[in-house]
Amino acid sequence: MRILLIEDDGVLGAAVRDQIVGDAHSTDWVTRIDAARAAMAGAAYDLILLDLMLPDGRGIVFLRALRAAGNVTPVIILTALDQVSDRIEGLTAGADDYLVKPFDLDELSARIGSVARRYSGNPNPIIRHHSLDIDIARRSVRREGRPVQLTAREWALLEAFLARPGQVLSKAQLEEKLYDFDAEVESNTIEVHVSRLRKKLGADLIETERGLGYRLAAA
Amino acid sequence: MRRPRSLQGRLLLSLGAVLLVIWVGAAWTTAVLLRHEIGEVFDSSLQETAQRLLPLAAMDIIGREEGDVASQRLGAIHGHDELLTYLVRDDRGKVLLQSHAADLSVFPPYSGPGFGRTATHRLYSEEALQGTIRITVAEPLAHEAGVAREIQIGLGLPILLVIPAAFAAVMLAVRRSMWPLRAFRELLETRSEKDLGPVASDDLPSEVAPLAATLNALLDRLRAAFAAERSLAANTAHELRTPLAGAIAQAQRIQKETGEPHIARRGADIEATLKRLTARAERLMQLARAEGGRLRLDRTSDLRDALRVVIDDMHRSVPQDRLSLRMPETPVMSDIDPDAAGIVCRNLVENALGHGNPSSPVEVALDPGGLLTVSNDGPVVPPETLAKLAGRFERAGTSARGSGIGLSIVSTIAERIGSALTLRSPRLGRQSGFEASVRFATTGNVEVTTWP
Repeated sequence: MRILLIEDDGVLGAAVRDQIVGDAHSTDWVTRIDAARAAMAGAAYDLILLDLMLPDGRGIVFLRALRAAGNVTPVIILTALDQVSDRIEGLTAGADDYLVKPFDLDELSARIGSVARRYSGNPNPIIRHHSLDIDIARRSVRREGRPVQLTAREWALLEAFLARPGQVLSKAQLEEKLYDFDAEVESNTIEVHVSRLRKKLGADLIETERGLGYRLAAA
Repeated sequence: MRRPRSLQGRLLLSLGAVLLVIWVGAAWTTAVLLRHEIGEVFDSSLQETAQRLLPLAAMDIIGREEGDVASQRLGAIHGHDELLTYLVRDDRGKVLLQSHAADLSVFPPYSGPGFGRTATHRLYSEEALQGTIRITVAEPLAHEAGVAREIQIGLGLPILLVIPAAFAAVMLAVRRSMWPLRAFRELLETRSEKDLGPVASDDLPSEVAPLAATLNALLDRLRAAFAAERSLAANTAHELRTPLAGAIAQAQRIQKETGEPHIARRGADIEATLKRLTARAERLMQLARAEGGRLRLDRTSDLRDALRVVIDDMHRSVPQDRLSLRMPETPVMSDIDPDAAGIVCRNLVENALGHGNPSSPVEVALDPGGLLTVSNDGPVVPPETLAKLAGRFERAGTSARGSGIGLSIVSTIAERIGSALTLRSPRLGRQSGFEASVRFATTGNVEVTTWP
């Protein structure tokens, strides 16, 4: 997944970014609302982590504007405001979840996963696909009962396909999921990762749509 | 006599007293002046009568034959009461003529012309023909006094009637001018403690308007202080929580990223310490809020939302089956600050989780009347311990360590919202366990404390 992290505290932001990247998501980290707007104009995000008190305004106002404009990107609020009224305000403004600071990084990972699953239409973290048992929450794959080890990049790619089953994803879209905003991507990187995935999980798992991109084969 | 405490009574008393003194004084002066005038009028008519009678008497006496005594006394033409009697005497004191009702004992010996007075009569004498004919006219003093009395009564009676009427008028006027003051007082009396809005001061008289203005300024400051307190709590939370969150997250990353077990252990130690620090800071902020903040708002909210948020939040760190929440299906509206309700709920639940039987669930229940009950299974707390526990929270025991502060926060909040923290052991209707309850006032319901 490609995640936009909006957090002005450097120490917390760095730890959260490292955690997200460790979970094989790509992330863009901004510290201001205007920077968040600019990032959203340039890329499509699967999820937003939003701090509520930012140097150039309140996160809740940004969230309301986002929802008013019809944007349905999942939003998880990271807030230091622990009052019940703040949380109710956040949820009614259109947040999908909130985490009160300080929070456990693993809990953050779990919540990102659960919100993303809810959005993909299948809240069940266990996905059965042909001979594969995929536990998205635990990041484990079994092929015919035997565990398969995937790299972080391979995971990210598999997750992107699982989030949109049956839908064709272009090479550019997949690159966006895999890499940070300013990271350089080699021209054949996607092809390399797709072929590794096919080798580990089965050749017929990912279909190629010539000239368009790739898609997950129907279950 | 004690001075009345009400402004109205004081005004009524002072105005009435002044009015009474002025009126009595005026009546008195009038009566004295009138009495003097009446005396003059009476004297003048006495003198006039004598002067008119004298020539007639002289003519009569001169034309009379010697020894004609019979004609000395002129018979009355018609019998009548005489107010004025007269006597005509010669220079030797012999009576020449007298009015028919003249009483000789009334007339003293002649002592020259002019006014005179006896104990009972006012006299006037005049003489003619070189003092050989002397007339004395007498009028009873009682007559003049009677007239004066009648006049005084005529003056006094209306005053006796007018004074109560004037009192009534004064009372009415005072009451009327006090009306805006009374309305102002009633406005303040009916105002609830949570209403910090400005009071209306449009109709107030200029003497009281500054009072209302001062009151409004005070309310303004109070509102500002409460708002500042609220935002201070929020800002402190932010200022404290964000760096703590950063440090805890970094400590967690260290544990993930390092391959060295001893470094991971240090990371875990740092994380645990920081989490303890966070919990302490949170309690202190809650305590500050419980003691200083405004706990009843001028708007209402559904208590169920607040409890749901708290319980959902706690489910993240507590297994699903350890915590159950039971709430009515209809909203439970209350003017209690939802954050305060949240603090109460969280502390009671944490207390129950910490002290209750770990294998059975903590039950959180809210009834439609706003009664929040948190109960858990566990051994019965002896009555004396329960009493000690309850007694300890009557005063916020900030020195209490560990879990004690949580209950004292709840107790402080309960007290400040006009409720009470009730502790029971065993639970109501059970043989064991512990139960804590706090009633939140709901709108539309009269606040009733049902427990003993």
